[in-house]
Amino acid sequence: MSLLTSLARLRALHEGVAQPIATVRHCHLSRRPMVFIPLKLSGEAAAPLAAMLGTDRDRPRLLVVTQPRNRDQRFAWAAELAGVLLPYVESFLADTETVERRNADPYERALDAPQLVVPNLGAVAFTRLLGRSTRFRRTDGPYPVPEEVPLLGRWLTYLGERASYPGSSLMPAATEELGRHWATGQSGLEDANLAALLHWITDGPTDDAEDPLIWPPAGPATDPGFDAEVLAPAIDSGSPERVTEALRTQLEPTWRLMWRAIDLLAGLPEGASVAQRWEQDRASFSGMAAAIAEGGPPQPRRDGAVAAAARLARMERAQAAYDVQRAYDDPLVMAEFRLTGEAFAGEVVETDPGHTEGEGRSRKLRPLVVVKTDDPVRLPAGTALGTPQRRGQGAELVSAAGGLVTVKITKGMGRGRTPAPGAVPEVGERVCYTSLTDDFQGSPALPESESTPWTHGGPPQEYVPNDDDAQEEWS
Amino acid sequence: MSGLKRSTSGPGERLAALRGTTPQSPHDARAIAALAANPGCARRALLDGAGIDKDAAARHLGFPAPFGQSPFAITRGNAFESLVKADGCAELLRMLREVLGLPIAEVAYHDVENVGAHLRHAHTRALIDRAAAGAPGAGTLYDHPLLSLEIAGSTAYLEPDVVAFQLGGRFHIVEIKSFAVIDGQADPSAVAAAARQAAVYVLALRALLEELGHDPLKVSHDVVLVCPENFANRPVATLVDVRRQLAVLRRQLTRMTALDRLLDDLPEDLTFDLAPGEDGLPTRPPAELADALRRTDARYAPDCLSACDLCFFCRDEARQEGASDLLGRQVRDELGGVASVEEALGLADGTRHPAEGQEEIARLLRNAERLRKECLA
Amino acid sequence: MSDRLDDLERRIDELRSAVRRAMRARDTGTARVLRAELRHAERAWDALVSTVPAGPPEPPAPRLVTVREQVHQALHLLSAPAQPRLIVAVSGAFFGGTIRSAQLTSLRRDEARSFRSSPYGRPYYLCAALTDRLSPARGLLTLSAWPLERRVIGPLSPRVDFLTCAIAIATAAATAAAGAAAPDERATRLLAGLARNIPGGADGDVAPPDPERVAAAARAELAVHAERDTRDRAELAQRATSQLGDVARLFGAATLSTIVKEEAR
Repeated sequence: MSLLTSLARLRALHEGVAQPIATVRHCHLSRRPMVFIPLKLSGEAAAPLAAMLGTDRDRPRLLVVTQPRNRDQRFAWAAELAGVLLPYVESFLADTETVERRNADPYERALDAPQLVVPNLGAVAFTRLLGRSTRFRRTDGPYPVPEEVPLLGRWLTYLGERASYPGSSLMPAATEELGRHWATGQSGLEDANLAALLHWITDGPTDDAEDPLIWPPAGPATDPGFDAEVLAPAIDSGSPERVTEALRTQLEPTWRLMWRAIDLLAGLPEGASVAQRWEQDRASFSGMAAAIAEGGPPQPRRDGAVAAAARLARMERAQAAYDVQRAYDDPLVMAEFRLTGEAFAGEVVETDPGHTEGEGRSRKLRPLVVVKTDDPVRLPAGTALGTPQRRGQGAELVSAAGGLVTVKITKGMGRGRTPAPGAVPEVGERVCYTSLTDDFQGSPALPESESTPWTHGGPPQEYVPNDDDAQEEWS
Repeated sequence: MSGLKRSTSGPGERLAALRGTTPQSPHDARAIAALAANPGCARRALLDGAGIDKDAAARHLGFPAPFGQSPFAITRGNAFESLVKADGCAELLRMLREVLGLPIAEVAYHDVENVGAHLRHAHTRALIDRAAAGAPGAGTLYDHPLLSLEIAGSTAYLEPDVVAFQLGGRFHIVEIKSFAVIDGQADPSAVAAAARQAAVYVLALRALLEELGHDPLKVSHDVVLVCPENFANRPVATLVDVRRQLAVLRRQLTRMTALDRLLDDLPEDLTFDLAPGEDGLPTRPPAELADALRRTDARYAPDCLSACDLCFFCRDEARQEGASDLLGRQVRDELGGVASVEEALGLADGTRHPAEGQEEIARLLRNAERLRKECLA
Repeated sequence: MSDRLDDLERRIDELRSAVRRAMRARDTGTARVLRAELRHAERAWDALVSTVPAGPPEPPAPRLVTVREQVHQALHLLSAPAQPRLIVAVSGAFFGGTIRSAQLTSLRRDEARSFRSSPYGRPYYLCAALTDRLSPARGLLTLSAWPLERRVIGPLSPRVDFLTCAIAIATAAATAAAGAAAPDERATRLLAGLARNIPGGADGDVAPPDPERVAAAARAELAVHAERDTRDRAELAQRATSQLGDVARLFGAATLSTIVKEEAR
């Protein structure tokens, strides 16, 4: 957390209402999101209890395991879930575009992709576990499951893993996305409560949000009091209707909150880089769909050493890119870097568009811009700079003193003797420059999977799901 | 647990006065482990030292703790433990053979609970003494042992799941937990909590060995954590090194025994007595109890919300005081020495002059305020 | 009818909240009264909403063999003290048994009562195993017909009995398999569970267990413990014979119930 966010939290606490910490929306919002609220049985690793889900806020689907300890009922539930989720996921596969690639065959990318909106990080983790517990199942043999169940498992696994990819919007958690755009006057720990967080943003804080009788927890764990006083007697009664109605009372309030969260986010204008990240999501989604269509095996239980290292490097790059993109898209995020002296903004007070460096053939156009700023600049001369106002442009810091910063433009001003029109800011224009740039080093050199050094376990055996995976008890 | 030995020295008397007519509430391993969560909180140290039932106090004050355990979780926990111990601890023996190389001949099982509740501690001592002395046939597995630990002058009784011995002449605490290990990974916070709890048992067993004149290091700092693997009920054992948890705990218990200084600062007439009536429910006027508590310093942090029964009471107090602690340690650290919301905001909008040493944070806050205003205009 | 349902649902919600509020305040008296009302309302709701009466469906399978008899069958096969869980599993795997663990909880008490009212009135009793304090061992059942040496529990006995049971089950599984086209799934699962807890009893988890191999592995480990266990048990049995009357010999001596206020140190 930055000081800027801390200040916003203090202000929120003082004013009694959450404060914005973003001026644009940094996540993609689907035109047809599917809200998914899973509940699990307390004390069990991945025993589903219920889920409320759907793409229509007026018509939620409620799926319930009315005898949660019954293994057949759990798989029947998973099949029901597959019956809702798989058609939704597959509905995005029909419309594609062909993407040309350098040094590789062109591929088909879906024009749109599914978006599963869940309440919190607990729901993400539970989704991943549901995926883990179903993707290895077999439709034949000693513990057969309905056909769609293993496929559902692969998609849930994929979505759950993709959720931890920085900047991905395939499976956003409401509390995380809201928390990225608003600062409340409570701690991060308390922000994990969706009802509490939303009240801060909308009507102002209330302790009711922590009363499970008024706002049941958004899952995946249910309120222990509810378990003891309502759910356990309902299960023991053997009446499926009672269990179903009991769980409906726990899910409906969260269902309403989820759509409210989506509306709040939709009220913000979309950030400039959101479409680019969504394109990556679409590409990733298409890749997953292709792997399934080609009959590939389910995701392994664990990555091999090389795969794990590659994945880590990918995530780090994605995180860095996400941070930079948000700063470029959003002045309020950029302000954090201005505060620490890694960026500055102000008015252009002087320009020298025709400035050159070098003589003869090596003579180069290097327009100069002088910016007057109140920001504390902590960048040495020679620092490479970028600017959100002209994203393709490169610049370099020449000098900074007394609130005046001289910048020379080094890239992206045209190839002529004079700069292209609009390439050099006019006097009076407000500009921002920063040492953050989006060009990162390429991927680290990792060996091919087949040549994994012995220190890292040697080449991984090709993953073949075995009977052990398929027959693993689901108790 | 009845029959607690109570110290009658100075601090003991003072603690007894704080407790008043309220029966002493026993510490269990979970509570002792939680002591390490917020070592700087004097209110908690005093309440725990005096053995006040914080849960009952919080309820009575109108701030019931947000904790509870689902009956499903309890049932599952019990079922898993009995599975691990079923058929002469067949599963446990398999795991100890795999993880620690327990020899085949070492299977002797002693159920300490066979002797009846009041003798369990004495029986545990006798068995452990024999084993540590290397007596032949002293046994390998001790089920339901009862250990004790001195906490600020009072004795807490602790029940580890199993103590295993004869693994290279060392004792190992076995902790059985029903959270799952999936593909070699478990919920880190659950593992951390289990490690803290197991450290309490290690410490108690070491204290016992030392008291009996044996080498306390015969108790291994590697505890055996038994959890269900993947989605089946099948147990799997992992060795967990609890040295770090032991160090934290030891330090915290030392602080607890140094309650004297805290006690010295208290007003003479101060008591946390809940004045329980015949039905055991508190009768003391809640406002009076609240006043008494407010005369001790709390150090509220959002982490308390998952660890301390009094958390809602202290949070309410922090709100009334406008303390920046409410927002979490990160915010507090960002703000350096500025403790109140009012003060920080005053520095930010320039209506308050920085005190000595606050110049830097004031400059940063003013800058942050200017940037927020500019961006949100 | 739906108006009435709505009313009931509202009432149920109110009562549930009130119960949980009372529980949170630890007001158990109020909670109990409210709970009774709640159950009443829930039953009314069930009656309205269900076309079939609620309640767990009871399969009306005729029970030809009593619980008592089924436990006897299983214990007789095992020939060693065993816990209800294992007894139920054996009964299911080899005798088509229908018992559940919960039905076994009060069995020992009922047997003791029957024995007291008319000693030796039945051909056999389901009775307790005796600890080294000659008190009843928790959760273990034995047969009165067994020699006392088998019914007492020394430090090694839990393991010895486990191995003895494993041998008995493996033998039974081999016999059953010889007479059947396919091995019974329940028997296979039971045997596999035992096999992996015996050194050398199984290869990994995948292959179905080989009864001969399980029995051989169990015998090998048994040989390590047998001598000492036999000695310990003989000693205990002798003590039981000399110190206990008929009832206590079958059902265990009462534990010392005096409440010692002073912590023994």
